[in-house]
Amino acid sequence: MHEVSIAQSILDIAITECRKAEYKRINSISLRIGKVSGIKVQSLLFAFDIIKIDTIAHGASLLCEEGPVAGHCHECHNNFAVASELILACPECGGTRFSINGGRELDIVEIDVD
Amino acid sequence: MKVKVVRRILEANEKIAEENRRLFKEKGIFTINLMSGPGAGKTSLLVRTIEALKDKVSIGVVEGDITGTDDAERINALDVPVVQINTEGACHLDANMIREALDEIPLNDIRLLFIENVGNLVCPAEFNVGEDMKAMVLSISEGDDKPLKYPLMFQESGALIINKTDLLPHTDVDMEKIRRNALSLNSGLKIFKISCRTGAGLPDWTNYLTTLLAT
Repeated sequence: MHEVSIAQSILDIAITECRKAEYKRINSISLRIGKVSGIKVQSLLFAFDIIKIDTIAHGASLLCEEGPVAGHCHECHNNFAVASELILACPECGGTRFSINGGRELDIVEIDVD
Repeated sequence: MKVKVVRRILEANEKIAEENRRLFKEKGIFTINLMSGPGAGKTSLLVRTIEALKDKVSIGVVEGDITGTDDAERINALDVPVVQINTEGACHLDANMIREALDEIPLNDIRLLFIENVGNLVCPAEFNVGEDMKAMVLSISEGDDKPLKYPLMFQESGALIINKTDLLPHTDVDMEKIRRNALSLNSGLKIFKISCRTGAGLPDWTNYLTTLLAT
């Protein structure tokens, strides 16, 4: 939904980290994007390719890894991780009392620099 | 050369939200981020809530709208402190907008702060502003399919206020379906059925707020 501003945040963080470590060029930025983070990867890549021009990340690519929707069931006490976006019942026992604790991440995990 | 970073991309917003939260706590203010689609009745709910509680609780309001001051004027008429934020196109409030608006609110004199978000059933749920709880309004005229179509807001909210129940006889809306699906997304959700127009059900909501503030 807010891919341009998110692309800008990624770029700002990566450039700051790169300079802090005294490197001169960013080759790639690895991200972990949760399945229900609300981010459309295609739009994020499109935005990033435009805003990276004229920065030390002009040759950089974004490498996106998807994080599953994860939760904990309060009935069978199992932790679960699933690929579907909408969970209405625990995939293990079918219980409806559960909490979701993963799938909304939006993290930078690693940058490749020279 | 690989550099491990591990940074949250939205950390700038989270950091300011945390500062707001600390400030609210220090001042003893309970803050509710009120969200809904456009026209569900957030401002009407605030007007009704303020009328019912303002003699017992000191209330302040931050109004978020893309443009205009209509909502702030409706609240201002009730003689409680209010500040209007115009997001100029942005579809939600973020923590920084709230931080800037707080300069205009007499924080020392407030116990309960409502932040009325921009009318939008999607984006407001994605951004923390430092609130103690999120609450959402869904109106009968929006239909009973909304929980499963816009799950995040239902998952993030602590309370769901179903408004315009006076319209029920004129629609095919299945109230039980709203309740069932909302609870399947969020089993801890407190649900209130009200009509801001007739006043039906409002005491359940205002009593809930009074209890929240007492704990």
